[in-house]
Amino acid sequence: MSFLVRAVRESALWRSLFRQPYPTTSRTRALAVMNNVFLHLHPVRVKTHAVRYTYTFCLGGISFFLFLALTVTGVYLMFFYVPSINRAFQDIQTISNSVAFGDLIRNMHRWAAHLMVLTVFLHMIRVFYHGAYKPPREFNWAIGVLLLFSTLWLSFTGYLLPWDQIAFWAITVGTQMATYAPLASTESGFILLGGIEVGQETLIRFYVMHVIAFPLIAAILLVVHFWRIRKDGGISGPV
Amino acid sequence: MSMQHYGYGEVHGPRAGEMSRRGFMRRMLGVGVGILSIEFLAGTLAFLWPNIREGLGGRLTVGTAASIATNYPEWTEGLAYIFQSKIFVVNVPAAKARVEGEGEVSQPVGDPGTDVSSDIPAVDRSVLALYRKCPHLGCQVPQLCDQSQWFECLCHGSKYTVLGEYRAGPAPRGMDRFVVEMEGDTYVINSGEIEDGPPVGTVTFDDRDSQLIPHCAA
Amino acid sequence: MTIEKRPNATADKTAPSQAPQVPTIERGGGPKLPGPPGVPGTERFRLLAYVKQESMVRVDKRPDETVLTWPHLLRAEFLMASLITMLLVITSFFIQAPLEEMANAGNTPHVAKAPWYFLGLQEMLSYFNATVVGVLFPPLYFIGLMAIAYIDRSPYKAARDRKLVWIFFLCLMVGGLLVTFIGSFFRGPGWNWVWPWEGLFFTL
Repeated sequence: MSFLVRAVRESALWRSLFRQPYPTTSRTRALAVMNNVFLHLHPVRVKTHAVRYTYTFCLGGISFFLFLALTVTGVYLMFFYVPSINRAFQDIQTISNSVAFGDLIRNMHRWAAHLMVLTVFLHMIRVFYHGAYKPPREFNWAIGVLLLFSTLWLSFTGYLLPWDQIAFWAITVGTQMATYAPLASTESGFILLGGIEVGQETLIRFYVMHVIAFPLIAAILLVVHFWRIRKDGGISGPV
Repeated sequence: MSMQHYGYGEVHGPRAGEMSRRGFMRRMLGVGVGILSIEFLAGTLAFLWPNIREGLGGRLTVGTAASIATNYPEWTEGLAYIFQSKIFVVNVPAAKARVEGEGEVSQPVGDPGTDVSSDIPAVDRSVLALYRKCPHLGCQVPQLCDQSQWFECLCHGSKYTVLGEYRAGPAPRGMDRFVVEMEGDTYVINSGEIEDGPPVGTVTFDDRDSQLIPHCAA
Repeated sequence: MTIEKRPNATADKTAPSQAPQVPTIERGGGPKLPGPPGVPGTERFRLLAYVKQESMVRVDKRPDETVLTWPHLLRAEFLMASLITMLLVITSFFIQAPLEEMANAGNTPHVAKAPWYFLGLQEMLSYFNATVVGVLFPPLYFIGLMAIAYIDRSPYKAARDRKLVWIFFLCLMVGGLLVTFIGSFFRGPGWNWVWPWEGLFFTL
């Protein structure tokens, strides 16, 4: 058995994947973080208070994790969903009733979405009360507000997709509120809905925004957000 | 171009107030990229601008007064004719008679007439085309309420007179309306153009106090 | 930045043989560099900064207390991710996402509510002139939030040093929470006041 393990670990493939043994010393632990593209989002060392649960409550991390979970479950749902007013509702029913684990995936997607809106809000409040938006982190705070907007917009566009009564009237009411906005009163609603009322044009517009446009925008903003944390000197200090 | 600076020694570049050729080119490049970005943005908006082919947005033929009365006899007694489920076609003389008779119309109005121009005040027009979408938050406004002879939105309780004037509730204005045109004796609605409803406080007809009459929507 | 005084700092690099019992990288290309001496986990990394004597910037930063990302931060992250996954799966297993009948533009519900995070705004719309709320609120909200960081420039972070901002934001948040709660649970048909025990007009 141990022979087999060693054979695998000494194989060219393994060694091309992992350039060092399992990190057990400070040095290899540092290298593990530096050499891995995903881990190197982190600095090698973090401030001691940063790993205290009661400092961050992990709210930013949870939000990002929910973003990932939503991406995965969302891709799953896309296999069974057609954004047409004649099919969308039936597709949701099919996902719920006929697809194996379809109901679970749909529920996970919905609850994760609501939870994400909540955690993003709480993250913002946490950051505010720690004064973590103060120089040099002003710009990252602004990025964070844009991320809050993206989160809300992702949730809102996704809300229409099941094409049931809740979705239809919530979006009707929500977009009507948007048309109270200055500058473009009816025009903003017109381009948002793809017409005068919520209909097929609205569904496809919201679908495109929900599954590709805003996830991309949010991902780009996330990259900047994370990069900025490190460039601004790591996580903010304790109060 | 080079000068002597007391601290830095020899310095290169244009004198103060002048622009180097390179600086000029760089600035022009910036301007060009800026213009292109604006064009791209405008093009995107134009690309996404809805292109309505059917339903609301085009010219909708409602029919002659006689054909409406055949389809929906109550129209002659002041109830609104619901056209394509989106528009109230109001027979104004009949509707006024209905409100004044508190729901009873002694003389049904079969043909309201052809005074539909938007230059004429709403009380004197023959036919109004009210958009059934409540200007508050977009709910669909139901048919005239029996108790009050008003249009009352059930969602959030906005209330409008039979001419679509605001009376109560959270709405910002009266009911929006479409331009009605005559083609011979046929009423045609130009649904591509929505006119904002009359502002709050417009009272040309039916000045009953909302507090003193019974309602369908609380 | 304070430059830690390490007289043998250069010696370490040029002559690794002088530092005995130094763990080295076991495999991989490049020169074999010595690791920091001492018991694993207690050693400190040196911070180097070159600050010109006549520099305008007054550097006065001390090295922070730090821990290694692997394992300390990664452990926390892994724990949280597992916890959230579990929570999500269990919730999704037991609580069904709502789905009503198919959308019908002709059938207006007795109460039409926006998604919950907009219910505060919807509640505000029933108090104030719609145009005022619509014109003021959404831009004020997002642009105002972004502007906070550029308006509040005081370097203090503790609550006692910024009472005004602290209370202002608290009022904003509590106010927002309040109107959202009222809009969510206390509004029924016709946007009239309904106690939650008289009927719940709220869907997630």
